[in-house]
Amino acid sequence: MERFASRRRSSAIMMGLSTGVTAFGLVFLALILGTLLWKGLAGLNLAVFTQMTPPPGGKGGLLNAIAGSLAMTSLGVIVGAPLGMLAGTYLAEYGRYSKLASLVRFINDILLSAPSIVIGLFVYQIIVAPLGHFSALAGVVALAILVVPVVVRTTEDMLLLVPAPLREAAAALGLPRSHVILKVAFRAARAGIITGVLLAIARVSGETAPLLFTSLNNQFWSSNLNAPMASLPAVIFQFALSPYADWQQLAWTGALLITLTVLTLSVLARWLSASRTNK
Amino acid sequence: MNPTPETVQNSAPKITVRDLKFFYGDSLALKGVSLPLHANKATAFIGPSGCGKSTLLRVFNRMYELYPHQRAEGEVMFDGLNILDPGQDVNLLRSRIGMVFQKPTPFPMSIYENIAFGIRLYEKLPKSEMDGRVEKALRGAALWDEVSGKLNASGLSLSGGQQQRLCIARTVAIRPEVILLDEPCSALDPISTAKIEELIDELTDEYTIAIVTHSMQQAARVSQYTAFMYLGDLVEFGETNHVFTAPRDKRTQDYITGRFG
Amino acid sequence: MADVAMGAAALVEERSPGRSKALASLKFGDLVFGRLTQAAAALVLLILSGVILSLLLGAIPAIRAFGLGFLVSEQWNPVTEKFGALAPIIGTVTTSIIAMAIAAPVGVGIAVFLTELCPQALRRPIGIAIELLAGIPSIIYGIWGLFVLAPFVQAYVEPAIIAVFGPIPVLSSVFAGPPYGIGTLTAGFVLAIMVVPFIAAVSRDVFDTVPPVLKESAYGIGCTSWEVVRRVVIPYTRVGLIGGMMLGLGRALGETMAVTFVIGNAHKITSSLLAPGTTISATIANEFTEADGQLYTSSLIALALILFVITFLVLAAARLMLARLERQKGR
Repeated sequence: MERFASRRRSSAIMMGLSTGVTAFGLVFLALILGTLLWKGLAGLNLAVFTQMTPPPGGKGGLLNAIAGSLAMTSLGVIVGAPLGMLAGTYLAEYGRYSKLASLVRFINDILLSAPSIVIGLFVYQIIVAPLGHFSALAGVVALAILVVPVVVRTTEDMLLLVPAPLREAAAALGLPRSHVILKVAFRAARAGIITGVLLAIARVSGETAPLLFTSLNNQFWSSNLNAPMASLPAVIFQFALSPYADWQQLAWTGALLITLTVLTLSVLARWLSASRTNK
Repeated sequence: MNPTPETVQNSAPKITVRDLKFFYGDSLALKGVSLPLHANKATAFIGPSGCGKSTLLRVFNRMYELYPHQRAEGEVMFDGLNILDPGQDVNLLRSRIGMVFQKPTPFPMSIYENIAFGIRLYEKLPKSEMDGRVEKALRGAALWDEVSGKLNASGLSLSGGQQQRLCIARTVAIRPEVILLDEPCSALDPISTAKIEELIDELTDEYTIAIVTHSMQQAARVSQYTAFMYLGDLVEFGETNHVFTAPRDKRTQDYITGRFG
Repeated sequence: MADVAMGAAALVEERSPGRSKALASLKFGDLVFGRLTQAAAALVLLILSGVILSLLLGAIPAIRAFGLGFLVSEQWNPVTEKFGALAPIIGTVTTSIIAMAIAAPVGVGIAVFLTELCPQALRRPIGIAIELLAGIPSIIYGIWGLFVLAPFVQAYVEPAIIAVFGPIPVLSSVFAGPPYGIGTLTAGFVLAIMVVPFIAAVSRDVFDTVPPVLKESAYGIGCTSWEVVRRVVIPYTRVGLIGGMMLGLGRALGETMAVTFVIGNAHKITSSLLAPGTTISATIANEFTEADGQLYTSSLIALALILFVITFLVLAAARLMLARLERQKGR
């Protein structure tokens, strides 16, 4: 009886701890998002979307940074996602049982979790250094390299979920392999693959380190891919570490914008994959 | 092994299997099988689990090639050509020998698209003609009356029995010559099963049928010829009445009387 | 044989005109597509090889100048061009250890709560909240750490720590003041907060793989919740948990933005955790664009190479461990 009581006590303590820790964690989440909203919203006005980044002490907005982020992220995804889908298709279909596939899968997982600053340095070495200047193009390449592993993983996982009989049924009609894959398997896995792309976009939207040595930053508006381009993360990095209050305010607002984007994309991705399983 | 002369109907074999061996890796799954598939007749393959009947069926359209470490040796003659010859165009082969699987597998598309999809692969048809072909295929699978009003609904929205008939419609839509049925009713309820068995009867008018089934009653109902297989061997082959009423091999006798399943 | 073949082909034509032609026209595209996917897969390999190669090439001047001493030298003087990786390496390892020491129990604790205690209705919302947290970009944690956490730590937490550990002989130097606010400890805290959602999500997923019957049979013989967790769930998922931890560690090691804002950027090794320090990624982030001179740049690239090797080893170990788990499960 004594023993039972002490066991119950330990269990109560441990379970209490785990509840406490969860509450603790949720409190921090609320704190962080709360601060972000509070400080970010304070600086949120029309000027943020219509004016360029100001010199210290001046008034301005984040237009060039927002545009730059949008441009580089879109291009990075346009380049990286198809590559990732093709490679993922190879892993799940043509090369499913091959040695090359096992190696690529392993390498892909390494790239997935590799420090993004290292990727930034790599792109610096192969594009920025030879050309002699920073450029948005280099930024796009860096982001594409970050997009590829995510899309490879989700594409392969989703294609593997397509049941074998469905594939066989398509093959039984005489469909050549590429048609079985593109017209039937991809169709069946469509929602999952799109989810993967959305998650990849969410991931690279907030990446700072790879942009620091590739697209650098730009105080002004630029639509030249061959020149440095502003981006929200780079601007936040510069402004937050500065001693100027208005710059710091813009940094918070920029952080809020990025967070809202990432959260929206994540929610969208969840909703999409949930609607697929409900069908 | 051959049916007795007076009961033979004069149908030349559509497919002739000669000494077929099949390997999963190093293990022998079919040990030298020889039999004919008579044209415009239904041939049933029966036997306990693992006897190789599905394996044999999947040789006819070389479905096993989708997987590594599986290979077939021997001859399977179809209109004078060996199916197993690596030079054969396997896609063309599969367009002539269709297959319906155990579990209904409608494509994730509308009912109309499920049928049109296969047709489009081989023929460019204007919409009106395509509509006609889709209707014909659905009628041919006894499904038209039930779905004519909802051709744009997803194929997955149909019941199990309807989905399986959709798969049959999809197969006949591309006008094969042989249809392989791999336990087509095992996932269905008795009413759907009965409908499909009726269908098989009609299908033999235009096609040659090979059906794998683990129900002897079904084999007796739908087929004209039956092959009994056991542990990778073809034990007995003959006209269905003969195999069921007067089997020549004791193993056949034992299986039919339920001594082992 | 040839005329039989021709006869057969004619038969096919008669029954299904144009069929072989239709299929033949698809063959080329089929082949191209197959090769394309193979090329894309090879590209992934190429990228990794490229990364390793470019880092090696970039680091050669530094390796040639300093040799293996680079790894153990604390010096970092751009003027005299003497560089050493010791301070960044120790900073990276220390912040990661602090982060994991906090995040591992907290993350697992959250996972335990979610799978055992949480009322069914709250399970999905809290689970979603955790996953969303895991997706927040690290720069957000960075600026929050700088503007919110660091001042708080400086005002309340660090004085308390200094006071508590002051009288204790050895530990007093580990937790010695002055309370800067920013420094190795704060960076460890921020990193921990960042890694917790990841560990919680992975652990929760791993816990969910325990077959309900296993837990039910334990409850059935009268085990308390804690006993079920400790004796059934955790042993069953042990390999997956460790794999998840190592993935989390891999991320912590490579994190840049979360630590750069609050680490203080001092290339010094001090015994106190409360003092400013630096990590490999923070050093690179702060100094690369200003670095002039080939040796300076090369040293920074050499740092990146070291970081990459460390994370590669951790991630490879995690991957192998998780692969063993899959094989055990008979996948």
